[in-house]
Amino acid sequence: MSDNIHKGKYGFLIDASLCIDCRSCLVACSAEHNVSMSSTRIWMKGTGVMGNFPDLSLYTAPFHCMHCDDPSCVSACTVGALQRNEDGIVVYDAHRCIGCRYCMYACPFEVPNMNLQEQLPLIVKCDMCEDRLNQGLEPACTATCLTGAIQFGTREEMLQKAHKRREENPDLCDHIYGEHENGGTSTFYLSPVSCDELCFPCVETHSTAYSNRQVTHTTPTVAGAAALTLSGIFLALKYFGKSGDEKTDRPEETKEKQA
Amino acid sequence: MKNSISRRDFLKITGNTAGALALGSFIPPEVISTALESGFIDSQGNGYIPTLCEMCVWRCGVLAKVQDGRVVKLEGNPEHPHSKGRLCARGQSGLMTTYDPDRVLQPLVRVGKRGEGKFRKTSWEEALDIVAENMLQIKEKYGPEAMLFSSTHNLSQTQFENLLFAYGSPNYGTQRSLCFNSMVTAFLLTYGIEEPSRNYDDVEFILLTGRNLAEAISTSETGELINAIKRGAKLVYLDPRFTKTAAKAEEWIPIRPGTDAAFLLAMIQVIVSEELADCDFVRQYVDHCDDMPEVFKKYTPEWAEGITGIPAKTIDRIAREYAAAKQNAMAHPGWRTSNFVNSFQTERAIATLNALSGNVLTPGGCLGAESPEASSVRLGKPPQPAYPRAVAKRLDGVPWKYPLVPLKLGVFQEMRDAILTGDPYQAHGWFVSRQNPVQALPDRNRTLQALEKMDFIAVVDVIMNDTSWYADVVLPESSYLERYDPLHVVGDEVFIRQPVIEPQGDTHSALWIYKELGKRLGLEDYFQYQDEEDYLLQQLEPLDGSLATLSINGVIKPESASGKKEEIVFNTPTGKIEIYSETLGRAGFSPWPTWEDPPLPAEGELYLLSGKVGQHTQSATQNNQLLHKYEDKPRIWLHTSTAAERNIKTDDYVRVTSPVGEIVVRALVTEAIRSDCAFMAFGYGHRSKGLRTAYANGASDSDLHVTFTDPISGGQALSQTCVTVKKED
Amino acid sequence: MIQKIIEELRRMPKAVYVLALIVAIGGLTALYRLYAGLGATTNLNKGYPWGVWISFDLSMVAFSGGAFTLAAIVYIFQKKEFHPAVFPTVLTGLVGYTSVLVILFMDLGRWDRFYHFVIYPNIHSALFEVSWCILLYSTVLVYELSPVFLKQPRFRKLNRIIKKMTIPMVIAGVTLSTLHQSSLGTLFVVMSNRLHPLWYSMILPVFFWMSSIGSGVAMVIAGSTVSYWVFGRSLNQKLVEKLGRLIPWIMGVYLTAKIGELFFTNEQNLIFSSGKFSFLFILEMIVGVILPIILFSIRKIRENRLASLISSSLVILGISLNRFNTSWWGMKPIEGYKYIPTIAELLILAGVLSGVILAFTLVSRYFPVFEETEKRTNTPISAGKIPVNTTK
Repeated sequence: MSDNIHKGKYGFLIDASLCIDCRSCLVACSAEHNVSMSSTRIWMKGTGVMGNFPDLSLYTAPFHCMHCDDPSCVSACTVGALQRNEDGIVVYDAHRCIGCRYCMYACPFEVPNMNLQEQLPLIVKCDMCEDRLNQGLEPACTATCLTGAIQFGTREEMLQKAHKRREENPDLCDHIYGEHENGGTSTFYLSPVSCDELCFPCVETHSTAYSNRQVTHTTPTVAGAAALTLSGIFLALKYFGKSGDEKTDRPEETKEKQA
Repeated sequence: MKNSISRRDFLKITGNTAGALALGSFIPPEVISTALESGFIDSQGNGYIPTLCEMCVWRCGVLAKVQDGRVVKLEGNPEHPHSKGRLCARGQSGLMTTYDPDRVLQPLVRVGKRGEGKFRKTSWEEALDIVAENMLQIKEKYGPEAMLFSSTHNLSQTQFENLLFAYGSPNYGTQRSLCFNSMVTAFLLTYGIEEPSRNYDDVEFILLTGRNLAEAISTSETGELINAIKRGAKLVYLDPRFTKTAAKAEEWIPIRPGTDAAFLLAMIQVIVSEELADCDFVRQYVDHCDDMPEVFKKYTPEWAEGITGIPAKTIDRIAREYAAAKQNAMAHPGWRTSNFVNSFQTERAIATLNALSGNVLTPGGCLGAESPEASSVRLGKPPQPAYPRAVAKRLDGVPWKYPLVPLKLGVFQEMRDAILTGDPYQAHGWFVSRQNPVQALPDRNRTLQALEKMDFIAVVDVIMNDTSWYADVVLPESSYLERYDPLHVVGDEVFIRQPVIEPQGDTHSALWIYKELGKRLGLEDYFQYQDEEDYLLQQLEPLDGSLATLSINGVIKPESASGKKEEIVFNTPTGKIEIYSETLGRAGFSPWPTWEDPPLPAEGELYLLSGKVGQHTQSATQNNQLLHKYEDKPRIWLHTSTAAERNIKTDDYVRVTSPVGEIVVRALVTEAIRSDCAFMAFGYGHRSKGLRTAYANGASDSDLHVTFTDPISGGQALSQTCVTVKKED
Repeated sequence: MIQKIIEELRRMPKAVYVLALIVAIGGLTALYRLYAGLGATTNLNKGYPWGVWISFDLSMVAFSGGAFTLAAIVYIFQKKEFHPAVFPTVLTGLVGYTSVLVILFMDLGRWDRFYHFVIYPNIHSALFEVSWCILLYSTVLVYELSPVFLKQPRFRKLNRIIKKMTIPMVIAGVTLSTLHQSSLGTLFVVMSNRLHPLWYSMILPVFFWMSSIGSGVAMVIAGSTVSYWVFGRSLNQKLVEKLGRLIPWIMGVYLTAKIGELFFTNEQNLIFSSGKFSFLFILEMIVGVILPIILFSIRKIRENRLASLISSSLVILGISLNRFNTSWWGMKPIEGYKYIPTIAELLILAGVLSGVILAFTLVSRYFPVFEETEKRTNTPISAGKIPVNTTK
């Protein structure tokens, strides 16, 4: 996964064992970013009620852009409207976007939303509250979380905290979702149940952006090779296959003259 | 009533004023310069202004972010103990209440029939004149008692009460009997305080009886509970429904509705019969302690198993675990536990359990014998003459029918019923402020019938809610982000609610409305303040603090505050914890906490449970678009087997019938509820077409609720109604 | 002048009016889509951000691969005997690509910013590359077709210049086609978590490129029979038969590559164990690959117009199915999201398809597209259902 991907500066730590599905984070985000009533940057995922009465369990966690280390959407975006800035935040330039929705398919976490209700829709996606960060504030979702289920800090801090929490609490799964998925992200999840049960997308650890680049970067080579090969064949056939051509030409010419 | 303002127009209205100028018109000049100097607000009038939330009764401190004269974001105020820097979903959505396109922006006078929703806009002069005229007429013809006043408790309550007491009516309805009468009455009788404070710092064992803290959110307390669990505290939670709190509980007890008291009484029995409590310690504070084993002997876990459906072993074990945690065990008082008539006894049992653990006797323990509302701060108030004596009996039966219900709690549903019966006398007028009795009272049809009997109804409201829809005059109050309210004391700190933006349209604060109405009623002398700021200045007088500082910081901590009391005092007749209450005995009720059989559903009937969701505040917020965006669709919960028997699938329409009403609503089939129960979230099914987002969304359980009143506490038993459910074709 | 137009309109075959009507309906629907937005006119959603339009685009581009394949055969491999088929094929390609651009325009959320890919490049993006290649290749197609429009004497000089540029332009065209045919496959390389492994591969571009050649050759073969029946003109069947010989080779290599890749990544078990995906995969392979390989190996079939039409239609159908599978049906579903195209989406598609046929018909009617082809002689009544321009 070379290509000099640097780890992001920030990280989220989201703990499904603490989330009570109050949805304050959802409302806060909508208010903070003036998001349309028909779209959202953050939403709840959960297990739904599991089991049979009375042996039941239920876990939820908010979900938003994972801010991948090597974002698939950034690699795929036709016009480069999605970019990863130097702090590792995946930001969206609403002025560039052409609404092709490639990012929606490229993102393995199924993150980008599009406000299809609008006549001229745009992508709706978490930007880690970049404006708030610049003012020294935490992201809106984190700042308002009643139970501390969403936490925010430097990437190292959050990862450390995640591992520590897991050690202290054996009820939590070993797997920290977001640590290695898609080549690594800035959002880490702790959960007492598997991420499958939380309805998180199953994402492999290799970077899909890297796979994409491996192929798209061959374009110049392919173009050059094609041009050269075609020229070569043409020249070869023109100067070494002339006699053959004349033979095949004639029967057709006679036929046309007859018609 | 057509409201032609679209959401876009609305935001345009608010966005026009230049910042600093706007600021100058409602904050005294002294404040601006101080604020500017301290960097609180910049020269454009952009910045954070502290105030208080009003999206529920918890009243978190808020920092309102203002830009170009508009509120653009609300943050929790880290300085406020109720928010500690956080806001729940409702708190965060507050700006959409202020910018709701369905807000009433001008006084309205009804022109069509009641309930048609036809109003004409008018001036404040005319509206207030009409209200005063009608109120004076009623007073003259029928006496002041014929005018009813009701309001859900809020910061301007003192002036609301001032109005009604000055007017001379004894009839005062609050929401309390729909909420926590059972708890308050029980704790008043047992501890002498209205509500014990809770402390989660060291708690090890928490027993929650109902009180769905994860969904009936009190911002700071909800956070503290979850953190206690994270720290390792054990939560045992009693509820017939698997709520979000149940999901966080170490043990969820799916108890039969209305039988919590049996469970708790059995716990008490185990503890006292085996002397698990530290009796010597407890004996100092609890009267008749030695009689307890005999009194509670009959309440065995085996007996409780038959009633609650919970295995005796479990009850026994939990009782022991509770006792083992000693003073670090808390039986949470909640608001009304199972919401049955016997909830009073349940609360008495809770008070008993806390006494036995000794938590309330430990300074700084997890339960405190002082009310969270208690404070040593004494605010000033404007001078006023004494109130006239209200001679007539209260229509709500306090105290002549309900001898033990405190006057300030009342029995609201009784007042409504008295309108219909005309007994002991007929009421003729109703003045409502910040309340929606049409949605809140049980048996909505009855409430609407009662409204029909009124000669005159005036409502103070922010939005065209259901009660406003049936009013004769609607007086639009400014939203909480646009007004001053009397100061709010929490502990030994004083917090301010102040306008952060100019009021939309032609709206005013309740302080202003009550004073103006008072003037026209000839009650000027009772409202001796010039304006809101003058009122606040008078409140601040005995304290060391200026309004300017308070406006900037949002809080002052008066030096006169003395801090926490040393001694633990119980404000009961004996000065001790009265598990045995002579007062109850003399009133003809059981002096000990006792078991009362709740009604059982008949064949084919289900208990209809009511409850809250984390995204709404009762019936007040369904029109808020930000909350509507993220709410769960309102559906009636049915257990898988219950639904299967009736051939019902999720999202099918079902007809729900109770002895007093009928509704049609969508179903949700789930495992998360007992098979003998159905559940509906409270507050949906609005009738007011003036609520374009909320209108006809879901159905209202208040159409189904039968009015059951506890004779001791006056509490309404909202979950005691049983219903039949069948698929609607 | 107007009289001439009215006369011409009278002589127009009825089919043309039907096509024009469908185009008009599609056009109105398209205007409505631009006005009301995607949410109001399509069923596209978060789980299925791309729908029938994108799948159609992919299929149409593959189908239009006949243009570059034939150009390579005629100009690079210098099989000049196939020249008569060039203009019809290039015309098909050009109207095909135009339809792709129209549908793409419909599909773009911000169609008002369609030119952004020119001024805001993302060189890592496969879609960026596709956009540019299609733009440039369309220019090449126009160039390749231009002689048909420039028959008049006054264009003689221009014609000469055009002729001189032929080989470089063809090389550019085939290179550009190779790039974008393969890049349409590259689009899905980033979707390794979503696209079912039966279709997903890092060498998707190779698969797309190979199958576009097959589809292209099939297009020429099919087109030959259709133009014979409808316009009374076609490439000599003997030459068509020769083209048919290519199919088993091309599709054979493609089959080997596809199945080979599955074995290489140890996913061969999925062929039969993937339920609905297995069905689609096997169907695609049988219809578009296996059956055509068998059929085109039989000389009698290759020589027969109807049989070769049917067999080449199988190739086109099968490869279209492959494109639909790769971009839509082969995607693992996301809980809670379903996608069925709306009537509006289908109407616009119908309008565009009719437009393709209509454009082809009208251009052939008024321009010497079929000039070099053979005339149909065996029908006593008419030379063909729709007359074409054959003036030199």
